[in-house]
Order: sequence, then C-alpha cells, then structure tokens
Amino acid sequence: MSADQLNWLLNLFLSMQLSIAVLVIVSIGLAVVFGMMGIINLAHGEFLMLGAYTTLVGVRAGLYLWLAMLLAAATVGVFGLIVERLLIRHLYGRLADSMLATWGLSLIMAQGMVLIFGPSTQGIATPTGNIQIGNYSVAYYSLVLVGTAVALLAIVFWVFTRTRYGVMARAATQVPEMAAAVGINPDLVNAGTFAFGSALAGAAGALLAPLVGVMPTMGQAYIARAFMTVIVGGPGVLSGTAAASVLLGGVENIVSYLSTPFFGQGALLVLAIVLLRVLPTGLSGRWQRQL
Amino acid sequence: MTRESESAETAVQRAGGRLSGELVWTVGLTVTVVAAAGFIPEFRALQFTSWAIYGLLALSLALVWGHGGIFSFGQGAFFGIGGYAYGISAINLSGMTGETFSAVIVAVIIAMLAAAVLGYFMFYGKVGDVYVGIITLATSLVLFTFMSSTAGHKYRVGEALLGGYNGMAGVPPLSYGIPGTELTALSPGQLLAFTVILACIVTLAVRALLRGPFGRVLAGVRENELRTQLLGYDIRLRKLIVFAIGGAIAGLAGAQHAAWALFINPIVFGLQQAAVVVIWVLVGGRKSLPGAFLGVVLVEGLASFLGAGGGSATPIILGAVLIAVVILLPQGLVPALHAVAQRWIPWLRERPAEIPFDESANIPDVLTETGGRRRTGVLEGVDLYKSFGGVMAVENVTLAFRDTGVHCLIGPNGAGKSTFFNLLVGRYRPTSGKVLFGGAPITGLEPHERVRRGLGIKLQVASIFPGLTTFENLWLAAYARLRVTAAATERAAQILDWLELRARAGDAASTLSHGQKQWLEIGMVLGGEPTVMLLDEPTAGMTREETARTAALITKLGKSISVVAVEHDMEFVRQVDVPVTVFHQGSVFARGSLEELRRDERILDIYLGRHRKAIA
Repeated sequence: MSADQLNWLLNLFLSMQLSIAVLVIVSIGLAVVFGMMGIINLAHGEFLMLGAYTTLVGVRAGLYLWLAMLLAAATVGVFGLIVERLLIRHLYGRLADSMLATWGLSLIMAQGMVLIFGPSTQGIATPTGNIQIGNYSVAYYSLVLVGTAVALLAIVFWVFTRTRYGVMARAATQVPEMAAAVGINPDLVNAGTFAFGSALAGAAGALLAPLVGVMPTMGQAYIARAFMTVIVGGPGVLSGTAAASVLLGGVENIVSYLSTPFFGQGALLVLAIVLLRVLPTGLSGRWQRQL
Repeated sequence: MTRESESAETAVQRAGGRLSGELVWTVGLTVTVVAAAGFIPEFRALQFTSWAIYGLLALSLALVWGHGGIFSFGQGAFFGIGGYAYGISAINLSGMTGETFSAVIVAVIIAMLAAAVLGYFMFYGKVGDVYVGIITLATSLVLFTFMSSTAGHKYRVGEALLGGYNGMAGVPPLSYGIPGTELTALSPGQLLAFTVILACIVTLAVRALLRGPFGRVLAGVRENELRTQLLGYDIRLRKLIVFAIGGAIAGLAGAQHAAWALFINPIVFGLQQAAVVVIWVLVGGRKSLPGAFLGVVLVEGLASFLGAGGGSATPIILGAVLIAVVILLPQGLVPALHAVAQRWIPWLRERPAEIPFDESANIPDVLTETGGRRRTGVLEGVDLYKSFGGVMAVENVTLAFRDTGVHCLIGPNGAGKSTFFNLLVGRYRPTSGKVLFGGAPITGLEPHERVRRGLGIKLQVASIFPGLTTFENLWLAAYARLRVTAAATERAAQILDWLELRARAGDAASTLSHGQKQWLEIGMVLGGEPTVMLLDEPTAGMTREETARTAALITKLGKSISVVAVEHDMEFVRQVDVPVTVFHQGSVFARGSLEELRRDERILDIYLGRHRKAIA
C-alpha cells in the first residue's frame, strides 16, 4: 500500500470520526431526556441553537471561546429548568402531548431568535490550525470535537453512576413508585434530568457554532439526525447513543465520501428505518445493563 | 341483510352518538360553495381553494392519528412527495396527454406507495407509538435536507429540474384537453368547484370506510391492541392500510397544491409545515372529519386576518396556539365548543341510544345458534414440565379436559396452577411435554394462533375496549369470527341479551361496573365461538352476588363447551359444583368433586399449612 493510499485511508478514518462525534454531541442531550424521562423534546434543536447564540454573544462580549461555551451550557441548562417547571411538568405521562407542546416551543424559539438576531448566518471564528496528512489537511478543531464527544460521554457516565442524583434518577426511571416509596422526590429528579439534558444540548450548540455558523434554523438541520440516533440507539442512554452514532455516522460518512452528501442523508434514513424493522427496540434494546 | 339486523345496525350507529348532522353539513356546504364558485372574486376563489386542499391534508392526519391511533407527524412528507411527483409527471407527460389529471393520479399512487413502504417497516417491526411519531417526522425532515441539496442541472427527472432549496418551477396547473393540443387550465372558479367536490367525495369515502367493519376494527386497535389481537385480528395489516390511505390522501392534497401554486419547494417537508398540519387537526378535533376542514379555515383565516399570512409573528402565534390547545383543550377547540353548546342548546344533546331487539325472539342458548360451525376438541396437557431457573413450577402434569363441562383448577399460592394455565394459553413454552388440542399439538403456537383454532382466552384483568360501547365490544368479537357485518350484529345482540347487559348496550364499556366488565369480556370470548374457554380467576374482586351470577353464566356455558377456570374463590367452586383438580407443588395432587375433596384431610393440610407425617 502506497503512502498516498495510506493517507487517504487515514483521512477517511478521521472524517468518519468527526461525523460520529457530531452525532454523539447533538444527540446525547436528547437521549438523556428521552431515556431517563420518556419525554421527547422536539425543541431539542432550538435548545442547541440557543446554546450557539449564547456562545456568539459571549465571544462578542470578549469572553474566551471555551468560557463562552461553558456559559452556553449553563444558560441553556437554566432555561431547560424553567421550561420543565412551566411546561413539561404538566405533561408527564402524556407522551404525544409533550411532543406537541415542545414542538410549539420550538416554533416560538426559532422565530423569536429571528426577531432578535435576524435570519442571517453569523460566524464565530474557528480556532485555527491544521494537521497535515500527506496531501490532506485536517482541521485541528475537528480533533477537538472528537475528543469532546468522548468527554461528554464520560461526563454522562460519571453523572449517572457516581453521583447521588444520578443513582436516584436511574432508580426513578426503573421503578418510579418504588423510588418514591424510598423517599426520592420524582419532581426534583425530573427537573434535574431535564436541566442536565438541556445543558448538554446547549453545549452541543456551542461546540458546533464555530464549525457551521449560527442561525435561527440551525436546530432543524440536526434534529432529524439526532432523533434517528436516539431511536436506533434504544433505551441505553449512553451505550445506545454511542453505538448508534458509530453505525449511522460511519455509514453516512462513507456514503457521502464515495458519492455526495445528498446520498449520505438518504443512506442514514434508509439504514435507520431498516434497522428498526430488525431491532424494534433499538441497538441497546436487548442489552442487560442499560445505561 | 335482514330487516332486524338493519335496524340494529342503524341503532349501533346512533349508539355511537356521533356525527348525526355531519352528512347534511358536508354535502350542503359543498353544494353551496360549488354554486357560488363562479361569483366569488378570483383572489378569494384561489384562497378558498388552498383551504380546501389543506383541509384534505388535515383530513389525512385526522384519519391516521384520530382514528388509526398512529402518531404520524410526517403527513407533510407524503404531501410533499405528492407535490413533487405531480410536478415531475405533469412537466414530462402533459405534452403528450394534453391534460394533467393523470399526473394527479400518478402522484397519489406514489405517495401511497411511499407510505406503505414506511408503514411496513414501522408496523411490521412493531415499533412503539412514540417511535412512529419520531420516524415520520424525521423522514419528513430528512426529505427536507435531501430535496434542498438538489440544486443544479445534475438533479433532474426528464424535463423537470428539482431545483434544490428554491424548488421546482413551471409546474403546470390542473388542465384538461385532448392529446397533442395546448393545455386548457381550469379557471379559478372551476378549480375551486373541482377541489371542493373532490374534498367532499374523499371525506364521504373516508366516513363510509370508518363506519364499516374496517373502521370498527380500527377503533378496537386504537382502544386495546392486545384484545384486538386476542380476538384474532391482524393489527399490523390494518395499521398499514390506514397509513397508506392517509398517505394517498396527503399525496392528493400535495399534487393539488403544486398545481395550485405552480411550483413546489422543500419547505413542505419542514418542521413548521408539519406543525401546522397538527395544529389544524388539534383545533378541529382529532377525530372529526369536517373538523379537519374547519380547523384549516379557523387557523388560516386567523393568519390571513392577522397579516396576510406572512406576518413575522405567525410562527410564534402558531407555537402559542399549539401549546395552549395541548394544555387547555386536549380534545381540540371545536369539540370543546361543541360540548359547551350542548350544555346550553338542548337539541344538540345526544339522545341515549337504544338497541331495538326483537322482543319476541327467544334466545334460549346462545351457543346453539352458530349454524353448524361449532368445532369440537379436547384440550390436553401431556407430561408437562416447566422450570424457571432451577425451580420446577410445573412437574409432570398430564391432564385432559372433556369436550363439554366446567373444570376448576385450584390450589394454594405457588402451587403451579397459573403456570399450567399459561402453558395452555401459550404465554409460556413448556420446558418439556406437549399441549394437544383436538389431538393436534399446539405447543409452539402463539396465543392468537390458538385463539383461531378455537381456544377462548380470558386473562385475569378485564381486557375490553373501554372507549367503545358495550355493543361495539361484542360486535368486534363476533365479527372476528363471522366476518359478515349483519351476522355479527345479530350475534352480538344475542350475547348482549344472554349477559343481560342490553340496558347498557349504548354505554361506553368503561362505565360498566367491575363485574359487568368481566361478564362483557366473557361474552367477547364467547363471540369467537371457542371450543374450549380458559378463564383465569373470573371472579377475582367480585361481590358475592356478582360471583353467584358468574357461576351461573359459566355453568350454562359448560352445557355446550369445555370451560377451564383457575379459581381461588371456594364459594365459586362450590356453586358451579364441577370436577376439581387440586395443584400442589407443581403437580396434580388430587381430583374429584368438591365434596369428595372436602373429606380429604390432606387437602386441608395443604391449605392450612399443617404438616403431618401421613402426607409423606
């Protein structure tokens, strides 16, 4: 194998890693809220968009990019808490209704942002730097995203296995009545989980902002893929999301690479639907330890 | 159809209490609009045409969601597919055919096929309700991204350029003519009349479909999937059919929309478009067909009043409406208004339904009237073993039940009687041994397959269709077996009489008492004309009187079929006075009449937990 071919392969591998990382980043917040609370947040894309705008405002106010991103996660987390208290809390156990209400929220948020910031795309300077692999150059920021995706998975794992809140949240998910009977307040746990999932969505928006540009409709561009990832992943918040991201992101990337992104999108949709025919409960549906 | 069953049939429709003046309204409005079409100003005619088209789209969702119970948030996908399909085929074919109506038909077929393929994967994959909502919505959004990236000359089908985000331009209007001549487009007035008539026909067709057997079974699927399945219906197929019909109607609307607007772009696949469809249906009421059109007129009328539909606040208002309706009026705006109106205007109130039966008809034994279709068969378990982990729950049980008569299985908790019951029903597979029915092995069959062979299964918790009337519950059960509307109506009436529930025929089953629900379910199982009926604790939670009546019903049943009941209640066992099998530690411990068993000291030991050497 020549050096060129090796570089080509390495480049393909890295771009695949990036696709997978983006899927993990945009869907982990959605997966936490769905897996732990059974709520489908159709405004997830707009939460992501809110995170991106917060980062934009932070950077323009002179904050370091990393600090602005942290601020974005925190802001969207608090926003999520407010939404849970005002809206979601009335809709537990009414799945279709919770989808519809968050859908309404998403319309309001997207248009609200148009009214505040205008409909056009605004950029955040991408942290510069490239790594040269033969004739190909890979942006340094792509590698950061891959690293961050892994870090986010680690944070979710840590929160749900190593913190008091996490253990309570998992107990409340598995047997809500029993959890309440041993003194866990499900209200508090649910509010916490929704805020946590929202913060992850905010972080996702912040991380994607330098890559794709910030605009009010950016949420829509990712929401479909995030949904597909979560459904294909199944009940395992962490393992399912990771496995589905690898599979869908990998296939989308290879198809896009060999043809056009047009067919990459189509391949993702077809693969997701066919997978559900074979494994209706998702990839992690039959796994013993479900996190 | 006989005269009695006809009257029972109309009565059942009244019993549902819905849609009484609906037909008159639908046809009356259509005639009015068509008559006025020539006099309406062109601008208004075009606006009303678009409302009628959107109404069809909303109707497709009301059918799929309200009546099929399928959360399809992607009706916009089939709308868009229909629009693009119309555009592509009209641009390519109208030169040859001289008209564009055939392109509409092509569009409907393509949209229906798309829905059928997607539906196949969802329903035959047994995907959960939520997932259906997300998959349909995500499909729409992926199509949005997909079609948005088709800019440039590379992406074309024949003469038609897909056009990327800007969409496909130059879509021909609805036109007629003869092959080889110039197209003659419909005038705005003609277009309005045509659209409204088509919408009326589709609405009436859907209405007829829902009132027929298909619609009733669909209602059953929506109310209680498991029960529908245990009655022997294939629910996957029915969901697929309703989803495909919904796709076809959405595709029809999409084709008309493209012909109306003269172009089509990917925005039809967008999130906002999908939300608007849901809002129309929520406002008009999920189950109401005319409500779908009313919802469109109210929402679009408001939007056009507020700023010609293009106001920048429109999405915010739509979002607020969506949240408000979901939280405040989950049943929908129009049904809520209707309920208020009913309170104040007496003649709008639904009259309590009566089911007229031929009073003189004597129905001595419901089971003798099955017209020679009765099957017979002995149910037996042979050398059955069932272990859970290391525990032997059923150990070496061989039992056969006679082809008529009642048989009780009793025993203390953990004796293995429920496990044995579940082996017969098919919820468990035995570790070893066989279950035979009429001599043929059924050990590996699913519960619904056993039902089709003549087993009737009633589980412990009453499983009925709570939202349907008592009569409709029984009708669905009878239709599953008979497959003839009139015969099922007659049969359901008989069973209703037999259960002495005639007074409650038109009431929702959810309003019955606990005991009545159990009887209703026994009646439903009976509707399947079983050879053997398996009952799990039929009297659990019943009052003394209810228990006595259940015992009487079951004794009567035992005269013509075989009934196997697992029971805890000794009072019930005493009343039916039939052979009893006592289970203990996974095996058959004793058999005989209750009197004989009462004299057996060992039985008392088991129940009271006394330990005597004599047992060993």
